[in-house]
Amino acid sequence: MSDRTENLLLAAPGLLLLALAFFLPIGQMLVLSVDGPEGATLAHFSRFLGDGFYLGVLWRTVRLSLIITVICALIGFPLAYIMARVGPRARLWLIILVILPLMTSVVVRTFGWVVLLSRNGLIPELLRDMGLAGRTFALMQTETAIVIGMVHVLLPFMALSILGVISRIDTRLEEAGRTMGCSFLQTIRTIVLPLSLPGVVAGSLLVFTLSASSFVTPNLLGGPRLQVLAASIYKSVTQTLDWPFAAAQAVVLFAGILLVLIPYVRLTASDNG
Amino acid sequence: MASFLIPSWVRLAARIFIVVTVIFLLAPLVVVVGVSFSESQFIAFPPDGLSLRWYQTVLSDTVYTSAFWTSIRIALLVTVSATVLGGAAAIALHRRMLPGSAFLATFFLSPLVLPTIIYAIGMLMFWSAVFGPVSFVTLWIGHTVIAIPYVVRTTLAVLSESDPFLEEAARTMGAGRIQRLLYVVIPQGLPGLGAGAFFAFNISFDEAVLSLFLRKPGLTTLPVQIYGQLEFSPDPSVAAVSTIMIALTVVLILVIDRMLGLQRFAST
Repeated sequence: MSDRTENLLLAAPGLLLLALAFFLPIGQMLVLSVDGPEGATLAHFSRFLGDGFYLGVLWRTVRLSLIITVICALIGFPLAYIMARVGPRARLWLIILVILPLMTSVVVRTFGWVVLLSRNGLIPELLRDMGLAGRTFALMQTETAIVIGMVHVLLPFMALSILGVISRIDTRLEEAGRTMGCSFLQTIRTIVLPLSLPGVVAGSLLVFTLSASSFVTPNLLGGPRLQVLAASIYKSVTQTLDWPFAAAQAVVLFAGILLVLIPYVRLTASDNG
Repeated sequence: MASFLIPSWVRLAARIFIVVTVIFLLAPLVVVVGVSFSESQFIAFPPDGLSLRWYQTVLSDTVYTSAFWTSIRIALLVTVSATVLGGAAAIALHRRMLPGSAFLATFFLSPLVLPTIIYAIGMLMFWSAVFGPVSFVTLWIGHTVIAIPYVVRTTLAVLSESDPFLEEAARTMGAGRIQRLLYVVIPQGLPGLGAGAFFAFNISFDEAVLSLFLRKPGLTTLPVQIYGQLEFSPDPSVAAVSTIMIALTVVLILVIDRMLGLQRFAST
């Protein structure tokens, strides 16, 4: 047996599983999306793109995902910077605090937000007590609730993506900037931010795709009225049982996500290799 | 940066920022744990009274216990299958002797980048068309596919820092292929394989999307059960189950930290 055969044998079971149980099913979905009673058809796509309701769902998905991505980047950058620059003990604690929610089931985390945001929950009550909100103020079943819950779910991805890049920046660059007369914020803006941009971009692309394809958190916090694309797919699969239409919607999501994923894979390929 | 170069207002702002962010990250988890010890019928935070009654309810309710055992069984099977398949693949990838190694690496990591919902819908349609109704095995295979990239990543990360000449040395001293694998390469990659195994368990145990698409009576995992309760009328028993899941996550994180070091995981 040659070395090559040995390595092939090692990789083969995994390769086979992914080919048969991952790529083939995705191919099946693509085929089903153009499946009609009389051969191939684009009817499911034209139904989706020709219906104001579904275009609204699509627009809400894109809009919310953009908002969520921007907020995650705005919180994630300073969080990652602080994580990279504190002492090793504090860093370990911060990493644990970021990973703990990341590794907790999305369902459980969303449940926490359901309790916090519900009519008699802590947050609306607090806002009412401070006089910032009226009696009828509600957060559940609003887009704000979706954004809060999703930022919580996705912030760890953003922070860890940026952390990976920031921790490789030589701190002497910042010290040089400071001693040569830059203010602290100028060092951040002219040295740290440009150097950590690959991390910010990779994190943003990742957060955007994950956000656009989530339905558990949007469903539970936004309710059935505020549907996003992934929720609409889930509904077509489990409630209306219109699988070809569900497949067509998934293809729309897939196409949108590929546009975002291709630069992401390019950006991160050097890290994984 | 040397500490005297950081103005004091920045330190103060950073402290406040970290405190607020940590509260934000932990708030939903703390709330869930708090609600689970409530005495009242209704979900409220801060909880009314203190009791373990909801844990009693959960432990004696077959709806929860059967979902729990389903989840555990799948997660354990996934841990084994994903670690074996992903670990073997990582060893082959690490040696870089296969044609198209870079492409293969992307191939093995692709379930990680593709959103689960797209895979879930494909798997449901594919399985139904080829094998008929979905089953326990469908979920096992599906979770294995999602978990493999994590094992590949952690194992590759550990192997890439190991001494490549050790295997060469074993070879010149007459060790056969199997011996080299068993006594050199696998021990070298063990921390990565171990961490990957725990990740695989965690991913399967917490996974909701694939499990929701493949749900059917008798095939309900714990996250699916919780999701169903939340859509209907949640009572504090949901919080008790969720708290058990959080506790399990904490244990897994501590174990992974021991095996691989979280610092390293965070930067790979």
